[in-house]
Amino acid sequence: MDSVVAEGLRISGLSYVLIFAVLGIFYGLIKLLLRMLPQRDDSA
Amino acid sequence: MADLLRGIAGMSDWRVWAMFGVGLALIWLAVKKEYEPNLLLPMGFGCLLANIPFSSAVGGGFLDVLFKGGITNELFPILIFIGVGAMIDFGPLLQDPEMLFFGAAAQFGIFFTMMLALLVGRIPGVMGIPGLREAAAIGIIGAADGPTSIYVATRFAPGLLAPITVAAYSYMSLVPVIQPPVIRALTTREERMIHMESPEHEVSRMVRVIFPIAVTLIAGIIAPMSVALIGSLMFGNLLRESGVTERLSKAAQNELSSLVTILLGITIGSSMGGKQFLNPTTLLIIGMGLIAFVFDTAGGVLFAKLINLFRKRKINPMIGACGISAFPMSARVIQKMAQQEDGSNFIIMHAVGANVAGQIASIIAGGLILALVR
Repeated sequence: MDSVVAEGLRISGLSYVLIFAVLGIFYGLIKLLLRMLPQRDDSA
Repeated sequence: MADLLRGIAGMSDWRVWAMFGVGLALIWLAVKKEYEPNLLLPMGFGCLLANIPFSSAVGGGFLDVLFKGGITNELFPILIFIGVGAMIDFGPLLQDPEMLFFGAAAQFGIFFTMMLALLVGRIPGVMGIPGLREAAAIGIIGAADGPTSIYVATRFAPGLLAPITVAAYSYMSLVPVIQPPVIRALTTREERMIHMESPEHEVSRMVRVIFPIAVTLIAGIIAPMSVALIGSLMFGNLLRESGVTERLSKAAQNELSSLVTILLGITIGSSMGGKQFLNPTTLLIIGMGLIAFVFDTAGGVLFAKLINLFRKRKINPMIGACGISAFPMSARVIQKMAQQEDGSNFIIMHAVGANVAGQIASIIAGGLILALVR
């Protein structure tokens, strides 16, 4: 395989996985925030 | 007199007429079809201004000044993001954070198209052989996010900026045409009729305020190249959610967005010179942009179907298609499709959640590509 194509494949795969990883961190962040700072009537 | 004759003589170039046709077509799409009129109309007019022979608007004219001052240094897309951030309500996403993963899945088209551009470029005689940077700039059309596409293309392939921008904005406006057939091909009627419970809980103001700050810090530390994009989006959102800068938030949503959109549109249009734009590569980029949107949609839907294999409470797989960044177009399309199958099915909140997740995911994708591609 052409080395540029191989590099493209590596970067594409890695980027796609990393997007899931970063958004997974945001998922954990939101869950944590919702647990620590639940909605109260007086904070509306 | 000589100047007048020079202009008329310049009209003998067929490319001038062809680009007049392109410019007028963009204006027609904006006026008659109302496809992204705020951008396509200035772009169409900018295209006309740039292609009038010996135009004083380019070649050192005001459009060149705008190009250098707003596109080359990436200022306009960044300012647009402040306005977009001020317009976005992350509430539906914060209520249902699982939707984030659909935003990630629906970026698939970016990478599929990047690989496609690399492979097609290696067929002799089809197009100039693109390196990784050019292929990445073409693939980023799949972010379904105009400012991110412009930002990445400016850095990686400034010569391809015009066709990439035209493709990105055109297909964003064509989401109601592109997504439904792809979704129908990949889902059964029963799947499209799946109901989803609306999230009950409200989100506190403090969470809404902390979210944009935390996302900026985390994304920035992981991918510093994304700071300009994610930071400006989240800054706009913080103006909105803080509750104490209403005037600034409104200014970002209205005056700033409108002003920069005018300048961005007409400047991008001015980069559509006949010599650069009229070549087979432009047609290929336009074609690959469509493929990017199709595979974004497919990636999101198939990811939802995959998740459903492991879930007791099923997700309507059409939600996966909303993970693209075209907001709020995609969410509206999916809600409409859900109601066509079952009039009592309301999945709009989930759809909007996935759609705003797509906004974040597309910027992360852009930042990662900028960081990884050399």
